[in-house]
Amino acid sequence: MDLLSEDYQSLTTDVLVIGAGGAGLRAAIEAAAAGARVDIVCKSLLGKAHTVMAEGGIAAALGNVDAEDNWQVHFQDTVRGGQLINNSRMAELHARESPDRVYELETYGAIFDRTPDGRIMQRAFGAHTYRRLCHVGDRTGLEMIRSLQDRVVQLGIEVHMEVTLTRLLKDGDRVVGAFGYNRIDGRFVAFRCKAIIMATGGWGRIFKVTSNSWEGTGDGVGMGFDAGAEVLDPEMVQFHPTGMVWPPGVRGILVTEAVRGEGGYLKSRDGKRFMLEYDPKKKELSSRDVVARSIYKEVEAGRGTEHGGVFLDVTHLGAEKIKKKLPSMHEQFLRLADVDITKEAMEVAPTIHYAMGGLRVEAETGATTLLGLYAAGEVAAGLHGANRLGGNSLSDLLVFGRRAGAAAGSYQREVGLGRIDESQIAEEQAILLRPLGGDGNENPYLLQQQLQQAMQDGAGLARDEKRLKACLNSILELRQRVTRIRVPGSRRYNPGWHTARDLRFMLTVSECIVRAAIERRESRGAHWRLDYLEKDEALGRVNFVAYNDGGNVKLQQRPVPEMPPELARLFQEAAATTSATAQPPARPPAPKRVPA
Amino acid sequence: MSTQTRTAYGSIVLRVFRGETGDGREERFEVPAVEGMVVLDAIHYIQANYANDLACRWNCKAAKCGSCSAEINGRPRLMCKTRVDEFGKDEIHVWPMRAFPLIKDLVTDVSWNYKVNKEIPGFTPPANEPIPYRMLPEDTERVYEYRKCIECFLCQDVCHVLRNHDDKSMYYGPRYMVRIAALEMHPLDTQRRTGLLHGKAGVEMCNITKCCQEVCPEHIKITDNAIIPLKERTATEVYDPIGWMLRKVRPRQEPAGVTGGETTELGGVRLPQRFAVKDVVRLKSGDRPFARVGGVRPDGKLEVWILKMRGTQQHWKGPRVIGTSDVTNNYGPLDDVGIGSKLFEQTLVDHAE
Repeated sequence: MDLLSEDYQSLTTDVLVIGAGGAGLRAAIEAAAAGARVDIVCKSLLGKAHTVMAEGGIAAALGNVDAEDNWQVHFQDTVRGGQLINNSRMAELHARESPDRVYELETYGAIFDRTPDGRIMQRAFGAHTYRRLCHVGDRTGLEMIRSLQDRVVQLGIEVHMEVTLTRLLKDGDRVVGAFGYNRIDGRFVAFRCKAIIMATGGWGRIFKVTSNSWEGTGDGVGMGFDAGAEVLDPEMVQFHPTGMVWPPGVRGILVTEAVRGEGGYLKSRDGKRFMLEYDPKKKELSSRDVVARSIYKEVEAGRGTEHGGVFLDVTHLGAEKIKKKLPSMHEQFLRLADVDITKEAMEVAPTIHYAMGGLRVEAETGATTLLGLYAAGEVAAGLHGANRLGGNSLSDLLVFGRRAGAAAGSYQREVGLGRIDESQIAEEQAILLRPLGGDGNENPYLLQQQLQQAMQDGAGLARDEKRLKACLNSILELRQRVTRIRVPGSRRYNPGWHTARDLRFMLTVSECIVRAAIERRESRGAHWRLDYLEKDEALGRVNFVAYNDGGNVKLQQRPVPEMPPELARLFQEAAATTSATAQPPARPPAPKRVPA
Repeated sequence: MSTQTRTAYGSIVLRVFRGETGDGREERFEVPAVEGMVVLDAIHYIQANYANDLACRWNCKAAKCGSCSAEINGRPRLMCKTRVDEFGKDEIHVWPMRAFPLIKDLVTDVSWNYKVNKEIPGFTPPANEPIPYRMLPEDTERVYEYRKCIECFLCQDVCHVLRNHDDKSMYYGPRYMVRIAALEMHPLDTQRRTGLLHGKAGVEMCNITKCCQEVCPEHIKITDNAIIPLKERTATEVYDPIGWMLRKVRPRQEPAGVTGGETTELGGVRLPQRFAVKDVVRLKSGDRPFARVGGVRPDGKLEVWILKMRGTQQHWKGPRVIGTSDVTNNYGPLDDVGIGSKLFEQTLVDHAE
């Protein structure tokens, strides 16, 4: 390989935050508070990150509406929802700290909806025992990102907008920088830094029907994997039960769970509320994996709508409440689907929404398995286990964004800048430049579409070995073809060129997902195997970890971190007092112990 | 998109602006129509099938992030929210926002907006406010309208002041009036932005054509509910901290600032207005011009120099002697207001009358 590299912009900082969504911004604020010079890099403009799409709310046991709520109940809901393969320490920290993170957000200028006596209002959501979601109508994510963004601006933290980083730079075992390009003019840029916080979000774009924006291409996991970090629970991909179905152009766009939280009904074609059968206790507000599967089954049984969905009906709530509590849903359906949801039912079907898996991190610090690399938010794994509860992602961003920021902020005080070997940069430049020259003939968009179709068909909601293996073959074939991509035009704001590099990350992530999905021969949470419909007790004690072995994806089983006795006791106590609580958890399972 | 639906709806023709700084032209594309298709879908189809390098910004595709702003048949709109079927068989012309410098194709350089945003003092709660905050619903509800803003910058694109002044030095634009309004009306904010507003932010530049609120995809009544109330903030805010605080915490029923009052009243007591040399004031007469105080006479009357704009040049005409009752607003010292800082960049000419 030619080691002569093109000139590039070189920047130096203490802590580099990759991604400007909720986790990245919160991490940056905390790292700056620890005295570090912080730079944020994001692929889009500031304030456009996927966090902005979050609608329903942020889960925190404030107990403002249901005074019985507390962190212990929130903890149990989270772990039960995650089917006990969560990192229980993360679930504990998350449940304990999210109330403070919500209050703190208001000190940055956010204003949540209020109770009549002036406290933060909370709404019901799927699989949360109590009304727990702090919200602002149905635009909670916008409120959150704007407040964090304002705070970052106030603190004078530098944000490099429309820059894509594609490779972590290492000095021995330590991560000491990152390399990529400026989207606007295509110039290369390298950051030298003492610590990196990965906050790049998820990878919904590897599927065809998704609620995710173009940014969700798995860059964080891709870069981390390439550099040697471990990827935990990749097979756990969440379908949100309710995405738009019709017209085709809007397929996959999210219909917030708040629609059901506010009292919406799911109905089959003949008007029957089918969730009464699938989960008589929690009904429409069962956990997302259960609701998504129920919808799938209804459609498979021929009881769906003509476009392959089911109905979601709020007309009984009255126009006034709908317009006040669900204004953007009202607007979205009116504008995009010609449906007035105050008068007609919506048509919905499951859509890819969230990645529970991601970089394996330490609970307290967000430190990955690579020295100097931290991760927070959707790109990190462990908190949500096999299924995430609605509202837990926004609180995840704040709780673990702050923790990663604090940890990176104190780590950077202990270390100096590393030495960057130019050959890493030359190598990455060669990869980046390849699609612009040479005699390839593949179209990056069409390859992306083929990957999305393959993942949708083979690794979607309902999985089996045959389809997963076919999907794996498609991925391996596409891996060959991406080397032959040819993109027209210059490096100046060229989305085709950008897609060519994104595809490599998408393929890495896809391969991790599929390989782990093949090995998890059971059904658990979001992972539903038609050929193994039951849970497997032994597999319930392990997480799958994917790692880079000389460029190949290898898998390992790791025992689920043991739940400390004081947390395990909570489940036993809940089981003992089931009759006393208003809304008892459906099935309090005994905690699974992991052999040390 | 499935071929089945494709054939049922025929095709549509888009004329998309392509080019970089300095040169550009429309390029014609024919795209198979699909039911419910939006302009952004058509752009994506073009990217995938005809022009991999066609530049456009987008993120959520659900009108929540405000990235895909463009001028569609001359009107600033979000591409993700504009259905192609509303144009019937007409060709659809898609252009970048023209108030901002072109980068390439549909992408423009909107960094100026982010620069302006940095100049606005952020949310500043009282230092000793107990956390968690208590804010009553009636105090918070009216702030929600401003906070709906998704920063698509369509209002900035359509604003005559920004479009016609390339240097954009006169006015922050509608987006930042909305932002300032959100901050000013936050029940717990203690910062004052009145000086900035009438100075560097240039709220006076808005001539209330309401174009911005017509294009707002979030239906924020930008002019009615943000700019006009801000324009009419009175001396009360500047000179009466107690009344100002009270209103912050317990906003009045009518839109903020629309008092029309020329004196400061608190609990029925009339408080005298104070003036100092170099204060910027606004006069009641005619077109309500700005003036700066040149001197305060022993009888309480003021000598003022009145601001006249000639292009970007500021001319101060005077001196003229007026009574304090001829003043509606006093914005405080020239330099604080921000007009002062502008004077260094522009020619200051005093004209004796």
